Amino acid sequence: MYGWHLKILRVNLTTKKVTQEDVDPKIARDYLGGRGWAIHYLYNEMDPMADALSPENVLIFATGPLTATPAPTGNRYMVVTKSPLTGALAHSNSGGEFPTWMKRTGFDMFIFEGKSSEPVYVYINEYQVEVRSAAHVWGKEVPETTDILKAETSNEARVACIGPAGENLTLMAAIMNDKNRAAARSGVGAVMGSKKLKAVVAMGNKNPPLHNPEGMRELSVTTSKDVGVDIKKGSNLRIYGTAYVPQVTNTLGILPTRNFLQGTFEHTDKIDGIALKEQFLIKHVPCYRCPISCGRLTEVPDGPYKGKGEGPEYETISSLGTGCGVSNLAALTKANYLCNEYGMDTITTGMTIAAAMEMYEKGYISEEIIGMPLPFGDHDAMIAMIKKMAYREGFGNDLAQGSYRLAEKYGHPEIAVTARKQEFPGYDPRGSQGMGLLYATSNKGASHMEGDVAYEEVFGVPVKENPLTTDGKAELVKRFEDSFTLIDSAGLCVFLAIRYVFSKERMVWPERLSEMMNLTTGAGYTPEEVMLAAERVYNLERMFLIKAGSTEDTLPHRMLHEPLPDGPAKGMVVQLDKMLPEFYKLRGWDEKGVPTKEKLQELGLPH
Amino acid sequence: MMIHVKLIANYRDQLPPEAKNGVVEIDVPDGTSVYDAISRFDIPLDDTSVIVLNGLTVDMNTPLKEGDMVTAFSAIAGG
Ligand code: SF4
Repeated sequence: MYGWHLKILRVNLTTKKVTQEDVDPKIARDYLGGRGWAIHYLYNEMDPMADALSPENVLIFATGPLTATPAPTGNRYMVVTKSPLTGALAHSNSGGEFPTWMKRTGFDMFIFEGKSSEPVYVYINEYQVEVRSAAHVWGKEVPETTDILKAETSNEARVACIGPAGENLTLMAAIMNDKNRAAARSGVGAVMGSKKLKAVVAMGNKNPPLHNPEGMRELSVTTSKDVGVDIKKGSNLRIYGTAYVPQVTNTLGILPTRNFLQGTFEHTDKIDGIALKEQFLIKHVPCYRCPISCGRLTEVPDGPYKGKGEGPEYETISSLGTGCGVSNLAALTKANYLCNEYGMDTITTGMTIAAAMEMYEKGYISEEIIGMPLPFGDHDAMIAMIKKMAYREGFGNDLAQGSYRLAEKYGHPEIAVTARKQEFPGYDPRGSQGMGLLYATSNKGASHMEGDVAYEEVFGVPVKENPLTTDGKAELVKRFEDSFTLIDSAGLCVFLAIRYVFSKERMVWPERLSEMMNLTTGAGYTPEEVMLAAERVYNLERMFLIKAGSTEDTLPHRMLHEPLPDGPAKGMVVQLDKMLPEFYKLRGWDEKGVPTKEKLQELGLPH
Repeated sequence: MMIHVKLIANYRDQLPPEAKNGVVEIDVPDGTSVYDAISRFDIPLDDTSVIVLNGLTVDMNTPLKEGDMVTAFSAIAGG
């Protein structure tokens, strides 16, 4: 077999038993790889009702067939598990270097099950696998942990680990790799912490052979050249990273501001990509073999927020920045560094603090409870809260549960802007209706990475859709959800994929992507087949959700009943009821959102 | 009539020196369309560019009114 190793590493953390397993080639083909393989195993191996922080939960790291190939941005992996934040599914994506190194161990996927009684890390050097004590790094932050583990294994190795937040089971804990890259969302770091698994260290030289290496090289060069044409014209993603986006969303009136009380922020100029470039940018840093290179290495050289690291990205600016009403770029950048060091998702961290700020301003939570005043815009209080969340100290313990549980605890559930208990990313769906349908139906709760229809509604990629209408949005959301499922399963970055390996003429049809899959694996897919496989994966994820009891596709009070007060989308709420029935019909799901027997049959899923 | 033009990120370089925070006020004749206004600037109107009027998605031939804001940016991916 080509492209895939068809090999899984299984580590039982309770018994410390390490086993290797082969993957059935039919399963490999039908579920593509990455996110697809992972849900196949998760669905078959765990009770979806199990407590996400119990030993019964299964933690899966999965690369795709295009990971570690010449394909540009073939540097991704997925972390798939049951989420302690949402009680539903978590599938979080990350790039950097670790995923490529992981694939070079000779395994496509790592499965961690059970729970260790003491802190451990797993060192995988090709087929030599050791479960080692992590007592000496337990309690340490991400950069230090990474340095220590590289020093005692190999400088050639790459590290994915948790920080204090994951150890302390903070529900917004991320799994960080290569220090600054994050499989961020849905509390995957807390699952790792619950298993007492501090880190995974990977290295090796076992790239799987490609079916047609020459063809793959040519197609990869062609794709990189296409990217190069855009870069030459001056791509914002290269020049500013995603930090150019606040100006765009502010213009459209969908920039989450002060916990979604507004859609525009009056100080956007102070915290956008231009300000970041002028003040703190050192250089752009790519994930492995990426021609786009959207990451930013930055440094706040002096003052109270002194530090060095990566970011902030757009999603951090819209949460810890505008979401909290913060306009101090140095403080915002520092907050981002802290989240990376403690190992926390900036979106859920920022939007949970934002919810607490609103509750403080409305008098629902007192200064005594918080331990300090917490008004919108108070960047020092925000920074103080991040540390308290990572260590679950004082009020930080309430914040560490996310905004849904926080708002409920203090008697004001209407304050939490979440779907499936997960905080919204940086697009207010009242001014981007398709995003509203996406957040409501997403298998992992509110997330742009589930099928970012902002590509069309906001950025005009590949074509511009009117974000304020509901017409055609059911079809748009389905198309993007399936496309993103495919990209996540293949092992590419979405920033590259939609524009460069899907054809625009046929409305994001995966022509070049399926060709890449064939050159890599020899599986002989048609574009129709890979899209059908993506739909199979999406539906199996949906079945996991239903079995986990996370059945309601809805949006929070603010999105359905509180019209946006400002900006171009003023007066709008999300018209979910206009889109949801059509969406279910297109998906082949019943009126409650459950896949019908016919649909499951058509996709070859258990029914 | 006076209108505003805002150019975001890499397009900002094409603004005249009097622009502030990426926005310039210009005087255009009545009947000027969104397309006419943006064509005065040296930005590539290709498949990566997006132009909105007062933050809204409109036809490029829409005639402008006093005080309107035309905004342009380019994107190759989402955020
Ligand atoms: S586009 Fe950005 S996030 Fe994606 S692979 Fe490249 S550097 Fe990484």
